Amino acid sequence: MSQKPDKPDARREFLVKIGIGTGLVALGGQAVASLRSLVPNVSYDAPTTVKLGPPQDFPDGMKFLPDQRLFVFREGRVFHAISAVCTHLGCTVRAEALSQVETRAVEGSPLRITHRFLCPCHGSRYTGDGENVAGPAPKPLAWYHLSLAPDDGQLVVDLAQPVARSFRLTVA
Amino acid sequence: METVPKTEKPQAPGVHPQPLWSVRPASDRQAGDAVVSNFIFHWFPAKALKDSLAWRYSLWLGTVSAALLLLLVLSGLPLLFLHVPSVERAYGSVKDIEYVVTFGYWIRSVHRFAAHFMVAAVFLHLVRVFLTGAYKNGAGRSQHREWNWVMGVAMLLLTLFLSFTGYLLPWDQLAYWAVTVGTNIASAVPLVGPQIRELLLGGRAIDQPTLIRFYVLHVIVLPGGLGVLFAYHMWRIRKDGGLASADHAAALPETAETAPGRTKTYTLLGLARGTGPTIRASSVEAPDTTVNSIPDLTRRIAIVVLGTIAVVSILAVFVHSPLEEAANPLVTPNPAKAPWYFLWLQEIVTDTTIKLGSFTVNGAFVGGVILPGLLVALLVAWPWLDRSPAAAAGRWFPQTRRTQNLVFLLLVLVVLALTFVGTFCRGPYWHLYWPWETWPVLPTRI
Repeated sequence: MSQKPDKPDARREFLVKIGIGTGLVALGGQAVASLRSLVPNVSYDAPTTVKLGPPQDFPDGMKFLPDQRLFVFREGRVFHAISAVCTHLGCTVRAEALSQVETRAVEGSPLRITHRFLCPCHGSRYTGDGENVAGPAPKPLAWYHLSLAPDDGQLVVDLAQPVARSFRLTVA
Repeated sequence: METVPKTEKPQAPGVHPQPLWSVRPASDRQAGDAVVSNFIFHWFPAKALKDSLAWRYSLWLGTVSAALLLLLVLSGLPLLFLHVPSVERAYGSVKDIEYVVTFGYWIRSVHRFAAHFMVAAVFLHLVRVFLTGAYKNGAGRSQHREWNWVMGVAMLLLTLFLSFTGYLLPWDQLAYWAVTVGTNIASAVPLVGPQIRELLLGGRAIDQPTLIRFYVLHVIVLPGGLGVLFAYHMWRIRKDGGLASADHAAALPETAETAPGRTKTYTLLGLARGTGPTIRASSVEAPDTTVNSIPDLTRRIAIVVLGTIAVVSILAVFVHSPLEEAANPLVTPNPAKAPWYFLWLQEIVTDTTIKLGSFTVNGAFVGGVILPGLLVALLVAWPWLDRSPAAAAGRWFPQTRRTQNLVFLLLVLVVLALTFVGTFCRGPYWHLYWPWETWPVLPTRI
């Protein structure tokens, strides 16, 4: 020891550093594992493709489906669906029937405008085609894809598939 | 000096004649004994500066906040046994607390009032500290009041988040739509927003994982964090030599003109720094600027704490807590209002959607993320931006800090005005109404 006085010290410091480093890695690993466990791997959310019932059960005009937060519009054999989720902060907008129904071209297709939509949380307003016209809403209400179920012919909405505002489903 | 009674055995110097202490000490020694002997009192210094105790300087708002925190922990314990954090049963269990459990409504009301008052008290405490420049370091050594200010800002945020997580637990309409709006604000954060929302909700929809997450945050994580910060906050006050108003009283006297003994060091004794033997004792020892903590400090603490508890407890007997309808994902209430202390934020997210041509920035991002983030960043950084002299610390409205105080007060007024508008002037569909106007009757269901 007297011959090489610096060696044991160096070894000791090295071991101390190893010890501290191992401790830090262990703590970091615990922290990462704890946080990662909180990120869900499986989603138990409601499915995004939902059967809404036979098309003939829908009234002419508008029907609100609270479970899907969806407005389904019917004009004879033609259907379209507009989301009721406000694009600002996700509250459910309410539909208000207009006193005067007008038909106007929306993205090239004629559309009968029967309602307007109002949000109770921060006062956003949308026209009957979902266009945001007042309040903090940054974009129009989403339109969703409608189809007929191949097995039983029910109306099916795909809440994961937004469509253009010219979309219509015509039922034979 | 009190003489030791004759009947006592003679003691060695420095040994206390009796292990007894009193909240009403008859002598300086008994006052000191209380600090040494009692666990609660050992938190306090033996002597307190008179200026630190003044009612008119601090308004004792920090103590009020701490008393409310104590009351919240005490009233939260029985609620912890009674509340069931499940989406099916939470609402029913809170309804039971309100209408079935003996004293249940009172305990819940105490908890709710203490929470509301704590938001107000902590906010007013911050306003007081800013206006008096109490985050500034004065004459004392190793003061780091700026860090205590940062801790204070963090504690205000924790208090707000505790309130937010607290009013979710009844799982009523207020809770459900507050989670909807709150987590959508979080998802407006660029890049990682949707991930943050999913982490908060424990999924993509508001359900059982959401309730249990906010529950655990409310009863363990946030109170624990607040407790740790509170302890640090108190320790820092002691380290910083009391309140900023006492700095000039504690200021060290001028060094003796002839500093003898340049070769000897007295540092090891812990008495003085450098080579001079002159002890520059602060006036903490001076009898005209200090009082014994027991009873002068403890009496005032008792008055403030017991007074706060009394006001809340009595108010809670007469005013019951509201409970909205059970959470209903199908219907958004109209109007859907946050509690009063978040209404200024609700106003801001309403008014800050920016349209530049075809490019639109959501108010959720501007008003929900950018502006609050900017406010918090400014608050945190202010001690380093404030260039006023040290003499401005611990005084109400000093000339040297007039501009920043006025700007700060203006910001406070804007927040209060927005809170007023949100509370009293917003009706169905978030339309503006005068407070005395009646709202139109609208169908409650679509």
